[in-house]
Amino acid sequence: MTDLPNGVGLAGAPGVLWDRRVRAYRAPASGYSALKRWLLAVGVRFEEISARPRSIKEAWSVVDLRAYQEAALSAWELAQRRGVIALPTGSGKTRLALAVMQRTQLSALCLVPTRVLLDQWSREVNAVYREAIGCYGDGVRRLAPITIATFEGAYRHMHEIGHRFDLLIVDEVHHFGGGLRDEALEMAIADARLGLTATPPRDTSAAACLSQLVGPTVFELTVGDLAGGFLASFDAITLYLDLSPEERSSYTNLSFIFKGVYTQFHRAVPGASWMDFSRHATRTPEGRRALIAWRQMRRVLSFTRAKRRAVRSLLERHRDSKVLVFTADNDTAYTIAREHLVMPLTCDISRQERADVLDRFRAGDLRTLVSARVLNEGLDVPDADVAVIVGGALGEREHVQRVGRLLRPGEGKRAVVYELVTRNTIEVGQARRRRQGLVTRSSGQL
Amino acid sequence: MLPDRLVNYSVAGTLVVPHFLAEHDHQWLRSLLEEHERFVGRPRRELDARLRDPLPCECPPGKLKLAIDVLTRLGRSRRNAAVIPPRRARALVFVEATRRPETGTAVLSKVATSLGVSVAELRDSLFADLPAEQLVSARGQSLSAVELALRSNLALVQRLLFHAAMLRITVEGNTRFLVRHAKWRGLICTLAERSGHEGASLEISGPFALFRNTRLYGRALGELIPLLGWCARFRLRADCVLDGRHVALELATGDPIFPASAPRQYDSRIEERFGREFRRLAPEWDLLREPEPIAADGTLIFPDFALQHRSDPARRWLLEIVGFWTPDYVAKKLASYRKARVPQLILCLDEARNCAEADIPPGVLVVKFRRRVDPLAVLRAIGSATQAVAH
Repeated sequence: MTDLPNGVGLAGAPGVLWDRRVRAYRAPASGYSALKRWLLAVGVRFEEISARPRSIKEAWSVVDLRAYQEAALSAWELAQRRGVIALPTGSGKTRLALAVMQRTQLSALCLVPTRVLLDQWSREVNAVYREAIGCYGDGVRRLAPITIATFEGAYRHMHEIGHRFDLLIVDEVHHFGGGLRDEALEMAIADARLGLTATPPRDTSAAACLSQLVGPTVFELTVGDLAGGFLASFDAITLYLDLSPEERSSYTNLSFIFKGVYTQFHRAVPGASWMDFSRHATRTPEGRRALIAWRQMRRVLSFTRAKRRAVRSLLERHRDSKVLVFTADNDTAYTIAREHLVMPLTCDISRQERADVLDRFRAGDLRTLVSARVLNEGLDVPDADVAVIVGGALGEREHVQRVGRLLRPGEGKRAVVYELVTRNTIEVGQARRRRQGLVTRSSGQL
Repeated sequence: MLPDRLVNYSVAGTLVVPHFLAEHDHQWLRSLLEEHERFVGRPRRELDARLRDPLPCECPPGKLKLAIDVLTRLGRSRRNAAVIPPRRARALVFVEATRRPETGTAVLSKVATSLGVSVAELRDSLFADLPAEQLVSARGQSLSAVELALRSNLALVQRLLFHAAMLRITVEGNTRFLVRHAKWRGLICTLAERSGHEGASLEISGPFALFRNTRLYGRALGELIPLLGWCARFRLRADCVLDGRHVALELATGDPIFPASAPRQYDSRIEERFGREFRRLAPEWDLLREPEPIAADGTLIFPDFALQHRSDPARRWLLEIVGFWTPDYVAKKLASYRKARVPQLILCLDEARNCAEADIPPGVLVVKFRRRVDPLAVLRAIGSATQAVAH
C-alpha cells in the first residue's frame, strides 16, 4: 500500500484494527473485498494479493441440473454469490456445488465435515473435472485450484491457504455459526460463498452469525416439498412401546432426580437452553447428580426389551429389503450387530472398511446396516427402502438427515420409516419435535 | 486432549484454581497403577469394568477419572486377541448372514468351519479391534505415581489453556527455547517490558486473537507449558473463558507439572566449545549463556552470550556467533540490533562463508573464526575497543 492521501487513516477502514504486537494494521481475511472497495473509494494505491489460479475451463464436463437446483443457483447468483441453500438429503446438493464451480470457473475451496466426505467429494469432483484436485485433511496437504478440505484441516491450515481461493463452498454449513471453528471461514478471502445444508439453523443467533460468515438462506426446500417427485415417497410409522416393570421403576427414579433440579432451574431461568442448564448443573453436586441421572435415563431407553423385540420383528419382516437401523449410541449399534449379525457402521470402523461395506450394500451382498451417527450426515448411502429408528439424541436435524437416506428416488419406490418410541418417557416429546423437520415449510424462498 | 468433563477446577473470584494431583494423592495413584498392571494383556473393557468399582483406598472421584484417562491414553495399543482378523471376520459373517435365512448360530458355525476355528473364537474376533476390546498395553507399567500425577496435572492445565487466547509469562532462563517453539506454532511473542537482567516478560498470542476471543491457538499455547519446566523461574497468567466466565489461570515455578524433555543447551558445537574455553581462559569474566531477549521493531532477538566483567559492570558485551551467512541475513540481524540500540556487540563470523570485508557493516566489532571461536581473539577485540573508546 503506498501514498495514503492526506486525512485518510487505515483506522477508519472496515474491519481494520491496529495490532500493537507487530506494529501494523490487521484485518480478518474475510473482510478482504470490503477493504479493497474502501481503498479504491478513498484513492489509495495498493498491491493486490496475487491472482488466484482459476480452474481449467476445458477440464470441466457440463453439469446438468434439475429445475429446482437451477432455481437455487439463480437465487444464489441474485444474492451476490453469497448465501445458504437448504435442500433435503438426496436432492443433489453436491451436484449443485459442482455446477457452481463449473459455471463460475473460480478457484474453489470446498469444506466438508468428515474425512469420509472428503473422499466422497473428491470422487464427485473427479467425475466432472479432469484435472488434479487439491486436498487438505486426513494427513494430506495438496493445493490446486479446486481443493477439498475437512473442517478440521481448514481450521488448522486456513492461515496458509485462505488467500488462494475466490469461492468458498461449505457442505453441512449448519456446523458453523455457533462459534466453534468459525475462524476457518473468517480466515479466507473468498468473496463468493455458498453454504449447503439440509437443516439450516433455527436458532436466531447462530443464523445471524452464519449470515455474516456465508450469507443468508437464499433458497430452501424441505423433504415435504420434493417427496413423491424428485424424492421417493415414504410412510412414517411410529411404534409406541412400553417399558418392562424393572425398566419403568429405574426410569422413574432417575427421572425424579433429574426433574427436581431441571424444573427448579427452568423456573428460575425461563427460556434457558439445554446448554445453559448443563453449564449451571456442572457447578453443584445436585446438578451433577441430575446430569448423571439424565445420562442413565437415556441409557435405559436406548435399547429396551420392547425395542429389542420390535427390532427383531422388523428385521425379519423386511428381510429382503435394504434396511438402515439408527441407534442413539455405538453400544446399542454393536448389540444389534451381534444379536442379528448385521454390519455396524460406526466411527470405530475404518474408512476403507466403511467404503467396502457401502459397496457391498449397494451390490446387495449386505442388506442391513446399523449405525449411531456415521450414516447421519452427508454420506452417499446407496438407496435403502426401510429405516428403523431405535433412538436418537440430536433432534430434528438428525432425523431429517436420517430419513433423507431413504429418499433417493426409484421406480415405484415407497420407503418406510419406523420410529420406536417408548410411552410415557422423554422419547415421546423428542419424537414429536424431531418430526417437525420433515414438515413442508415453504417452497423455494427466493 | 482431555475432555472438558474431566477438568477439575474451582473458581476463586476471577482466578481458576486447577485441582492438581499432589503428594497426598500418591497412595491411590499407586493402587490405580497396580490395578492397571493386573490387566495388562487383557481387553480394555475388563479394566474399564474394574475401574468403575472403587479402588481399595479412598480417592477423589474427579481426580481418579482424570488419572484413568491419562493412564488410558498412555497405555493405548492396537493389539487385540483376534484369531481371525476382525475385518475379514466381519466381511465373511455379515455377508453370509445376508445370504442365508438361518439362525445366527448356524451362520457363525458355517463360517467358523470354513475358517477352521471355533464359533467362540470367531465370535470373539468379530469386534476385537474395537477400542474396548483392544488389549491393555504394558506402557503404563513403567510409570510411577509421581509421574502419573505430574502427567495428569499437565493434561489438566493444557485443557484449561485450550480455552485461552493469550499468555503473559515472566520467565528467566531458556526463554529462547520457549519463544522458538511459540513462533514455530505461528504465535506472536512480544516483550511486554524490559525487566533488566532478571528475565523477560512475554506476551504470547495468535494473530487472530486481535479480533476476538478464539480457541484457535489454545492447543499451541498449551504446548508451551511443559517447556516452562526448564526455565529457572517463571510466572504465567492466562486469560481463559470457562463456561462463559472470564477467568485467569496462574502458574509459577514449582507447580507440579510434567516437563518436556530437556532442551539442548547449545545450538552448535562451536557455541558449546566457545563457552567452555572462554570460562576457562577468562575467569575475571562471567559468561552468560542466552541472556535476556531484546525487543527490536516488533520482534525478539536472542544473543548467544553475554560477557560481563566481574569488577566493572559497564564492560558488558553481547556476542553472537553467525554460522550461517548471507549479506542480507547479517544486514538484517545487525539492523535489528541497531534498532534495539545494543551498543556493545561482538559478531563472530565464519570465514568459510566467504564474507567480504565490504559486506560487513561499519561500527560492529567483528571476530572472524574458522571452525572454532577463539576466546583470546574475542578478549583482544574487547580490549582494543575499550582502548579506542578511552582515547
